[in-house]
Amino acid sequence: MSIRKRRSIFDVIEEYFESVEQWMDRIRESLIEGPSWDCKSCTIKPLSDITVASDKVIVTVDLPYAEESTIKVLPIDKDMIEVTAKMRRKISFDDFGITHHKGEFHTFKCQVYIPVPVYIDKMEVKFKKGILVIELPRKREYEIPIK
Amino acid sequence: MDEEIKIIEVRKAPKEAYMIFGFPDVGLVGVIAASHLITELGLTEIAYIESKLLPPVTVLHEGLPHSPIRVYGNHQIMLAVSEIPLQEELVHPVTRKLIDWGREKEVKLMISLSGIPVPGRQDLEELKVFAAASTGETLKMIQEKGVEILMEGYMVGPQAVMLQYCATLKLPAVTLLSQCFFNYPDPEAAAKVLDLLANIIGVKVDVSKLIEKGEEIRIKARDIMRRTQQELAKMGKSQEFDIPLYIR
Repeated sequence: MSIRKRRSIFDVIEEYFESVEQWMDRIRESLIEGPSWDCKSCTIKPLSDITVASDKVIVTVDLPYAEESTIKVLPIDKDMIEVTAKMRRKISFDDFGITHHKGEFHTFKCQVYIPVPVYIDKMEVKFKKGILVIELPRKREYEIPIK
Repeated sequence: MDEEIKIIEVRKAPKEAYMIFGFPDVGLVGVIAASHLITELGLTEIAYIESKLLPPVTVLHEGLPHSPIRVYGNHQIMLAVSEIPLQEELVHPVTRKLIDWGREKEVKLMISLSGIPVPGRQDLEELKVFAAASTGETLKMIQEKGVEILMEGYMVGPQAVMLQYCATLKLPAVTLLSQCFFNYPDPEAAAKVLDLLANIIGVKVDVSKLIEKGEEIRIKARDIMRRTQQELAKMGKSQEFDIPLYIR
């Protein structure tokens, strides 16, 4: 029988505040809008979407002009993945008719927060019609017995 | 509220024309289709909307300010297009104002171009276009053109207001909805809806460039799509996935 180390109430409170802070950061990030591009890193933030199904989480990312062989999906935390992809051609502000900014972009980059526990190591990735589909099986942490 | 919205005419609007609506919605189908139509048919600006109710936004084109909601046209078409997503509280007054204005111009048919989101859209090889109409006669006319009718379901957004308001006024109106992505710009769906529009109004529209430039459009349309997503969420757009309890 394994002996579980009891955490102090202070640890529990600290963990709680940490999780609230993380949650606030995410809310803040979604409320404060920045540009969808970054000239320094020459990256564009692609559109992404997430669907939480009963058995899996499906993340999609819109990657037009992406070179399929360069697409990378990396878990950067237990609840966060990062998608990067090189473009087949560089895009510049001139292409959009914009003259008050200068810069060109050759890479897509975005981070997607996964709101429920998943097996990140079991993710399946597909790419079709410029849409990246990432499927992550959901973790079942516990089961409630039916009496 | 309707009185606080003005339509300023910059050129004489045609009488008895088709009036088309292309507003930001799922897949930006309407806006992408409208933008292509303006280029392909060489439509020019005939009117724009002025209102204190609109967000404090002007769209700069070649250094000059333009209202984000404008009407383009030629001798047989009027096309209302918006470069910003309509906020929920503006959907009714703006749509109604445009319909009332179109009514004054004795528009023969109002047509809104939009999309119907489908999960797993990337797996669809052939996109279907559905239609709904404001009156029984208009519905019959559309069916005779071989268009599949959206028989039951919810519709949310400017096209819903357009259809309902035209039904109240007994004006002929049609909404064309191509299967599309919910959250991503969908030029292919816009091309589909334009093919059908061309068939209905008897105008030749070449959509090949729209398909060719699909990826470029998807990159350019990211930011307007992002803002549209926020407005669609406020409008309860996902209700379109619901199965209605139809009370007869």
